[in-house]
Amino acid sequence: MLENYFELLGLPVDYNVDLPVLNANYLEVQRSVHPDKFANSSDLERRLSVQKAAQINDALQTLKNPLKRAVYQLSLSGVELKDNETAMDPEFLMQQMELREKLAAVKQRDDPFEALDKMLADVEATLKGYQHLLGQLFSNANEEALQKAKNTVLKMQFLSRLQEECLNLEEELANEF
Amino acid sequence: MALLQISEPGQSSAPHQHKLSVGIDLGTTNSLVASVRNGLAETLADEDGEHLLPSVVQYFDAEMAAKLGKNHVVGAKAKQNAVADPHNTIASVKRFMGRGMDDIEESSVYEMLLDDNSTVPRIKTVAGNFSAIEVSADILTHLKTRAEDTLGGDLIGAVITVPAYFDDAQRQATKDAAKLAGLKVLRLINEPTAAAVAYGLDTGQDGIHVIFDLGGGTFDISILRLNKGVFEVMATAGDSALGGDDIDQAISDWLVSELAIKSPLSASLQRQLGEQSRAAKEALSAADKTTIRINSDQNERLEIDLSRTQFNQLISPLIKKTLIPCRRALRDSGIEKDEVIDIVMVGGSTRVPLVREKVEEFFGKTPLTSIDPDRVVAIGAARQADILVGNKPDDEMLLLDVLPLSLGLETMGGLVEKVIHRNTTIPVARAQDFTTFKDGQTAMAVHVLQGEREMVSDCRSLARFELRGIPPMVAGAARIRVTFQVDADGLLSVSAKEETSGVESSIQVKPSYGLSDNEIEQMLKESLSHAQEDVDARKLAEQQVEADRVIEGVNSALKTDSEQLLSAQELEEIQLSLQELATCRQGSDEIAIKQAIEKVEQVTSLYAQRRMDVNVQMALSGQKVDDFEE
Repeated sequence: MLENYFELLGLPVDYNVDLPVLNANYLEVQRSVHPDKFANSSDLERRLSVQKAAQINDALQTLKNPLKRAVYQLSLSGVELKDNETAMDPEFLMQQMELREKLAAVKQRDDPFEALDKMLADVEATLKGYQHLLGQLFSNANEEALQKAKNTVLKMQFLSRLQEECLNLEEELANEF
Repeated sequence: MALLQISEPGQSSAPHQHKLSVGIDLGTTNSLVASVRNGLAETLADEDGEHLLPSVVQYFDAEMAAKLGKNHVVGAKAKQNAVADPHNTIASVKRFMGRGMDDIEESSVYEMLLDDNSTVPRIKTVAGNFSAIEVSADILTHLKTRAEDTLGGDLIGAVITVPAYFDDAQRQATKDAAKLAGLKVLRLINEPTAAAVAYGLDTGQDGIHVIFDLGGGTFDISILRLNKGVFEVMATAGDSALGGDDIDQAISDWLVSELAIKSPLSASLQRQLGEQSRAAKEALSAADKTTIRINSDQNERLEIDLSRTQFNQLISPLIKKTLIPCRRALRDSGIEKDEVIDIVMVGGSTRVPLVREKVEEFFGKTPLTSIDPDRVVAIGAARQADILVGNKPDDEMLLLDVLPLSLGLETMGGLVEKVIHRNTTIPVARAQDFTTFKDGQTAMAVHVLQGEREMVSDCRSLARFELRGIPPMVAGAARIRVTFQVDADGLLSVSAKEETSGVESSIQVKPSYGLSDNEIEQMLKESLSHAQEDVDARKLAEQQVEADRVIEGVNSALKTDSEQLLSAQELEEIQLSLQELATCRQGSDEIAIKQAIEKVEQVTSLYAQRRMDVNVQMALSGQKVDDFEE
């Protein structure tokens, strides 16, 4: 009974997801299987509904997030990312180190919040660029495109972690004041 | 005078008859019960017209119990005796739900102890040693009786609210209390979500809403998106040990220092300080100044004035603490402050003027306080109960809530690896693969914790799950897939299967701060006057009710789609198993009924899965039709 997440939420298998359609489909599907519909039903129906609702939620979370969606689509094409695999591109790695150093220095600045806002804006712009690229690569679906897609995803993972750290620091600083 | 109505317990009534259900707000300070009658959700009052039931229970010794016919009293009468009988009058018991001995701060008013073989602390009273679960069950029973007397019949079920930030142990404790009170829990819902239901339906405004819920003992903030009847919680945060009680404590501490009251303080004086502090807090919501009077242990009459300004200074650090979860929730939801349509204030403590001021300052909008903050949670719960029990089959309302705290596993070196992240929409399921490290190993244990930190010592231990029945193999050959599932109540269950052989492991749960199944069984027995007989009668009734549910469910399903989804052979098998169940149901052999139910489940399992998939397909094709129409 294994359906892929795109099918489950009524979408074609395409990296370029129409978010409003995804959300609308999700709500309709969830309405039909959610445990609230089975609160007074038999134990079996309640158990199945919890499982189905959980699967639908996972489908939404995966497809809604550009990084998770990419990882998922890679796996549908048979490309798995190993646990500690990282992007090998030296120029990229150098860039990441610089960004991390910049982040560590933010606390000392006079304008930490502005500096963080700028960093976050830059990171977001780069991530959007990767998403655009992935949209093209996935529609090609040949071996070369898939490998390029994999490398792009590895870079996205790096940047996402940096984004997390920026947000953590922002919250930490706000709580201090 | 209560309406008398003869009805059989739990019997599912004719399809179009109104099923009785309630919403219950089991609060730290006050509890309420509400129900939908004639299309209107309203709180139910007692014989004196009071809607709020103080969450206070007073226990009596054997002599008094014999006179009264029961060993305790709940509510206003108990509250009146708190100062006179401080050790036996239990208040704010919600603060002890799902907590262990090490969590309980030197609560010098109550004497707490641990029975052997139990992780759950008990409060010593003249009537016996009771856990927070049993005290809560007494409050729930009182509300259940009030509801059944007022509504004139037996309740099919109840929706009970919990703070959004309650962890698994605290939720499970609430469910256990309901079980002891003989209440079927249709759903546990989060208090802010319940408030949103009550509020959202009234105003009908779609968009982003913030619920700021400061109760007697807990603080929650929830950010919700309301969209065509679907309430989607985007993020929730809070502090399950921050509330009005802490404001009262700040005043008490100030009184002790200003009035130079020497320790040790008697239990009675402590209760008095608490009561007077609370009264002062309430007075200062309207007045600029209030006078506090205390009778010291030496029988001196002490008096002192407290101004609004002084009061604000005392509580300012506490209010600041509430803003930290506010920031966290905004960040987790990805919402900017200016996207928020309104802020709803819930909980009695939001009446404090400084709270409203600080919330307005933080969000840049005047918070809404028009709905009675004491009743709104119970009303929302009653509305949901009405829908869940089946009175409104066409209602489109759907509540999509989230897991408030991350769930993780203990790994090497005292670290916690997160398996499910906070603010994940529930229900949710995640699988993790494990293997054995000894040849022939047949069992393993998994320690589950809740919290955001990285070390085991900084997180909340939930339970140890012992997996047994792993087929013996060479070390490292087994692939055990452990599935963590959080249901719509926010409760975790664990299942495990060895993938290469397909063998399901049996799971034994050892809660860190909860009751074992044996303990609950024992408590149930103790609470019923004829012990074993009553327990057996209750078990039989439960199986009969479940049998009816199963028969009705399968029959109505067959009427809809047996031709499309079942082969002739499958249909015959199902009908035979239903006949067998119907026969057993008429008898009084509880085990036979249970087995017959299991048989029906077995033969309908694939059918049920097919139907679930059809639900999904139909929902999607409904969507496609809409696309065309645009």
